[in-house]
Amino acid sequence: MGRILAVHSYKGGTGKTLISMNLAASLAEHGKKVCLFDLDFRAPSLATLFKIEKSECWLNDYLNGVCEIDKVLQDLSEKIHNGGKLFLGLANPATEAIRDMSAKDRKWEMRALGRLLALRTSLLNDKGFDYLILDTSPGLQYSSINAIVSADLVLVATTFDRSDVDGTRRMLRELYDLFEKKTEVVLNKVLDVSSKAGKEEVQAKVNEVYQVPLLGIVPCFCDILKARGGTMFAQEKPDHPFTRILDEIAAKIDKTA
Amino acid sequence: MSAQDVTGRKPLQVLEKIRENLERLNDKIEIMIELQKHDGKEVQPPISDAPLDVMTLLSMPDHLRKTAMTLCRLGRATADEVSQQTKRARAVESAYLNQLVIMGYLKKERNGRKAYFFVDRENQR
Repeated sequence: MGRILAVHSYKGGTGKTLISMNLAASLAEHGKKVCLFDLDFRAPSLATLFKIEKSECWLNDYLNGVCEIDKVLQDLSEKIHNGGKLFLGLANPATEAIRDMSAKDRKWEMRALGRLLALRTSLLNDKGFDYLILDTSPGLQYSSINAIVSADLVLVATTFDRSDVDGTRRMLRELYDLFEKKTEVVLNKVLDVSSKAGKEEVQAKVNEVYQVPLLGIVPCFCDILKARGGTMFAQEKPDHPFTRILDEIAAKIDKTA
Repeated sequence: MSAQDVTGRKPLQVLEKIRENLERLNDKIEIMIELQKHDGKEVQPPISDAPLDVMTLLSMPDHLRKTAMTLCRLGRATADEVSQQTKRARAVESAYLNQLVIMGYLKKERNGRKAYFFVDRENQR
């Protein structure tokens, strides 16, 4: 049975989308059948990053109940080696669609939760997907909490930015704990972890502050900034240190499946 | 004179009816016990079709959230099926599920001897 992973954070700019994209690609490159969903309906980004302008249906349509999930999925498997499969479920980036999604009421959100939960049957059970990765919007947005409730594991992308640390700590206690979700942290944009001592110090700090497992430490890479989101490191640059870190994170996740 | 003559039904049917009524009575007693246990403070007045969205789940007391979350995941389930997931007693889950029905978050329907609970998402407008 496959698993649903939600990638979430307290603040924006912590690297959720970068981690989601590359984690999905890394798992697919290791032979898994993966689908990456863009649940950031207020600021969709995967359509732009994957250079996809049109879709038969968007994830918005599926959640609106006007199409089945099959119509939403885009198959990118031809870019993947080793027999893995990578699919995308994109949020509609049109301004009108963003406006529409921002005006949904509680009853719509409740139905959307039901449709997200139904993906467990339609994709994991029936279509044999190994992983569904839900890239969410930051903070306490309805779509993000729906994703967290639907997920088996929540990956929290965080940095050492003070307001992010404080907000993430609060979210761990007042959101993930209340839903009894298995939560692990990915610490991103860390400045000095080249030495073993530096890594251990960061690890100890994370354990003390968050008291949840640390899944990985991602240093600050200039190459990532230079790529401006346009490079799928796990697929295009397999020997890059960032890819190796993502591979380790993917292996840890897969080991606990 | 046979038992069938007296009641106009077969004895097995009569026993089945008695069992169903006892189960209904049991559900009601469980709700009353649960209401007393929590001093009725956490139970809202009955609402028709209150949406069970994530913000509502967040604001629920822990014991009810666990039950509601489990039912959200299962879709449609009996108290027994919910109790297998939560590892709490069936009677406890039955009380919590009935409490959520009273609060308007869940629907309940009987199919023979079994009572099924579910979130009626699609019919809420």
